[in-house]
Amino acid sequence: MSEHHHKETFITKYIFSQDHKMIAKQFLITGMFMAIVGMLMSAIFRVQLANPGESSFLYNLLPGDWINEAGALNPDKYLALVTMHGTILVFWVLTAGLSGTFANFLIPLQIGARDMASGFINMLSYWFFFIATVILISSIYVQGGPASGGWTIYPPLSALPQAIPGSGTGMTLWLISITLFVVGSLLGGLNYIVTILNLRTIGMSMKRLPLTVWALLITAILGVLSFPVLLSCGLLLIFDRSFGTSFYLSDIIINGEMLHNVGGSPILFEHLFWFLGHPEVYIILLPALGIVSEVIAVNSRKPIFGYKAMVGALLLIAFLSFIVWGHHMFMTGMNPFLGSVFTFTTLLIAIPSAVKVFNYLATLWRANIRFTPAMLFAIGTVSAFITGGLTGLILGDSALDINVHDTYFVVGHFHIVMGLSAIYGMFAGVYHWFPKMYGRMMNKNLGYLHFWATFICAYGVFFPMHFLGLAGLPRRYYTNSAFPMFDGLSDINSIITFFALTGAIVQGIFIFNFIYSIFKGPKASTNPWKSTTLEWTTPVERIHGNWPGDLPVVTRWAYDYSKPGASEDFIPQNVPLKEGEEEH
Amino acid sequence: MTNTLIILVAVLIIAALVQITRVSELLSEIKKQDPNKVTDSNNKTQGILFLVVGSAFLIFVVWQMITWNHLLLPPASSLHGQEIDSLMKVSMGLILIVFFALTPLLFYFVYKYRGNKNNKAYFFAHNNKLEVIWTVIPTIILTCLIVYGLRTWERSMNPDLSQAKIIEVYAEQFKWTARESGTDNKLGKANFKLVTDRNALGVDMNDVNSIDDKVVREVHLVVNKPVLLKFRAKDVIHSAFLPHFRVQMNCVPGLSTQFAFTPTQTTAEMKEQEGDDFEFVLLCNKICGAAHYNMQMSFIVETQQEYDAWIASQKKLSEKLLTQK
Amino acid sequence: MNTVKNKALKQLLWVGMGSIAMFFAGLTSAYIVRKAEGNWVDFILPEWFVYSTIVIVISSLILIFATQRIKKNKEIFTLIVIVFLLGGLFTYLQINGWKELTSMGVYLTGEGSNVAGSFLYVLTLSHLVHLAGGLIALLVTAINVKKKKYNSESYLGLEITTIYWHFLSALWLYLFFFLKYL
Repeated sequence: MSEHHHKETFITKYIFSQDHKMIAKQFLITGMFMAIVGMLMSAIFRVQLANPGESSFLYNLLPGDWINEAGALNPDKYLALVTMHGTILVFWVLTAGLSGTFANFLIPLQIGARDMASGFINMLSYWFFFIATVILISSIYVQGGPASGGWTIYPPLSALPQAIPGSGTGMTLWLISITLFVVGSLLGGLNYIVTILNLRTIGMSMKRLPLTVWALLITAILGVLSFPVLLSCGLLLIFDRSFGTSFYLSDIIINGEMLHNVGGSPILFEHLFWFLGHPEVYIILLPALGIVSEVIAVNSRKPIFGYKAMVGALLLIAFLSFIVWGHHMFMTGMNPFLGSVFTFTTLLIAIPSAVKVFNYLATLWRANIRFTPAMLFAIGTVSAFITGGLTGLILGDSALDINVHDTYFVVGHFHIVMGLSAIYGMFAGVYHWFPKMYGRMMNKNLGYLHFWATFICAYGVFFPMHFLGLAGLPRRYYTNSAFPMFDGLSDINSIITFFALTGAIVQGIFIFNFIYSIFKGPKASTNPWKSTTLEWTTPVERIHGNWPGDLPVVTRWAYDYSKPGASEDFIPQNVPLKEGEEEH
Repeated sequence: MTNTLIILVAVLIIAALVQITRVSELLSEIKKQDPNKVTDSNNKTQGILFLVVGSAFLIFVVWQMITWNHLLLPPASSLHGQEIDSLMKVSMGLILIVFFALTPLLFYFVYKYRGNKNNKAYFFAHNNKLEVIWTVIPTIILTCLIVYGLRTWERSMNPDLSQAKIIEVYAEQFKWTARESGTDNKLGKANFKLVTDRNALGVDMNDVNSIDDKVVREVHLVVNKPVLLKFRAKDVIHSAFLPHFRVQMNCVPGLSTQFAFTPTQTTAEMKEQEGDDFEFVLLCNKICGAAHYNMQMSFIVETQQEYDAWIASQKKLSEKLLTQK
Repeated sequence: MNTVKNKALKQLLWVGMGSIAMFFAGLTSAYIVRKAEGNWVDFILPEWFVYSTIVIVISSLILIFATQRIKKNKEIFTLIVIVFLLGGLFTYLQINGWKELTSMGVYLTGEGSNVAGSFLYVLTLSHLVHLAGGLIALLVTAINVKKKKYNSESYLGLEITTIYWHFLSALWLYLFFFLKYL
């Protein structure tokens, strides 16, 4: 790719940039903003759960008609908050915010390319995302409120405004927003794949790629194959909602009105939705694991253990992720044989996941660990992956799912694997690559404080949920006070809310550290972590085209840490082999 | 009010800590030290913190298991439910063993191998034998678990229906209604187009099987007698969740679903066991609108005599409705 | 011609077409699943769709011919215009197909409609929407050809348009045979 010699205006440098590093930062900032919005929503509904039917000053953040005369949150708006929280965190933060940031930032730098294959398409991918964001946020303020049928938007609930107000304009805007979001994601994914396959620098064979790049490549492939099915799913829903077709709707009487739809099946929606929905959670997880592989290796001063096995595990997880979607549908009345098939494939996915955990542990064994804040979060990711992954074995077993499906048990599970594991991976990535992104260092002590407070609060919020689930408490319940059988659980609810609010506030440390360090952080050196990968060979002042002269030439894999016979405990990938030295 | 105070205090604490850190940063600058360099002392502290917080976490987990054990659902009150409970015990046992093995190992490793400028990491990049071992062993264990799980699933989903009493459960925003199939044990056909104010379930009164059907607002079951619940929904997807029986099944408009089980304990027995305010209850377990949290119907398990007395007191549909054309 | 940049841009298109294919795979899977559940009205596909199939195949063949001509630096403007017009003809024939369907009593929605009809409309409409993109690409190509942008050494824009147009034809052939025989 030729260097861009054009003069940069403010607009082309900061707004309509085609430079992958700027686009990455745009994704990061938007993702962080949405994370704050999503987290505030969860703080609000946790307050409702701990003090049901009471008022709270936090409700002042909401539009006026969401609160009734007693000052309490309206039940349907509780569901609106839960829906938007899920949508924002799953798609906006953990997909766009995680992949969008790190794929854009790292891929050209780690493979030794000047930029992505098409800077223009890359720029488009952010702006589609931005417009999708504006539309989604605006849906909060429309009449009837935003979509309220859960982030999984099953019809008929999501198709009928008479069933819940949010299924009116709010849901229409949700669908438009998600369509633009998916298009933006696809545009990004195209670039990631093509760039990795074609623009690697001389010597950067696939076997010498850092694991982060492998993870991002496989994630992008998952995305381009699975996101379009969400579009077809959504298209049929749009037709049912706005054009009176009966793809998903049948035999409905709502609010006394008999609808004309016959022959449709909501289960068809579920199949199409979860065909994306399951790969989606791996689209969320894999980049986090890729980041963690990198951060653990650098800070252990050891190669990541079992590079080939790690790549193989990523590929196997990706492949299997396409054939497990039915485990979200065990209780739909599907043919029990189908249920058996999905149980089988779901429990199989535990195997490559376990392999990855063992490889991380083996990397830490006999390491020389440097505890940067990034490393703390990487270790947190591994802990959460163990905890959350194991409960997946209960949920994936169809017979056991009978009593835990849609209870707080599953809420605990997916929050620990996504809300802890993946978010910690994202934090690790921000702390680790901040010096490269902004040329300055984040404050280490604030980072330590942020990690420990978050780690403690997060387990405090989500571990107790397993007990709520085993006590039979369903999810998406406005309050648990309607059934006497749940009266004994109110203490647990209060504990969870306490940790949730504290954990939310604690993120302020990170936001402060992030913003402060961009402007006032100490200037970073070129390679502050003494890492081997190529992004640390570029100058601190970020330049268009990444390297001022020729592109680096790669002579070794990405993990020559503490190699016997070397003078330093790391050898960058572009350092030629010494006389008599063998490549690993 | 307490919430407000907590948040205010937390915010002040954070603000204070932040100021302290900024001051320490400035001090490092004055001393010409890199404030963000990770020192051996940092590594020692963080390593110890992992050990301490890690142990606290594990203790917290055990504390939760002990303290909240009594809040969990009582043992299953159905035949297949008992098999599910056994599978659950085995599965939980397995994952707890793995959790309590791997989690301390993780925290111990990061403590033991905390960095030090005098140490050198061991360049150990791969070992095929290890990879095979820790792939094969989980595969074997999981295969056993899968086989056990599939057997339990198959037995739960395919019980003997020949003797089962058929009862329909009808879900709508925001209540449950049930329909007993009467002495012929056959439910009359139903169609949403036939729903009226008086015929809320849309039963086709021209179907001869409908004559002895009875619409009821609570379900009575005979202990140790199998029952087949057939589900329909009126408006959106609901889900019939009977946690004490280990029964859950989506109720989907346009589809009919079912779940069969045999209750093994009467409500009276359960009241003795769990306390006088115990009830078997049916909850909605799939988001269905504003009052999703408050859709309940009682299930009462009793002796054959008690059931016979109760059902006799319920009115037949044919007595309640006029025949429809 | 086969510089890294060109190779990468063509691959971008291929991956994008893979995504589009998955979109239609989702719709046709839904069709199959729904059809198996019954309450499905069969009907004969109007002849218009046979004509449109022929038209789009011919348009692809003409594009193949045009590509061969540009490699010999020959004039191709007229050919591109013809393909564009054939694309317009395809659209016209599809719309006529829909008109005949409604006169046969097969509707997208409303009284008397059946999901079989709904699927047909959704599938053909989706294809047409993607074809609109192809028409825009052809327009841009035609303009570039007029500006003498392409020659035997460099004709990436034409290649991209051609690949995408062949994809649209292949996709239509798949949908046509799917709707006719499945």
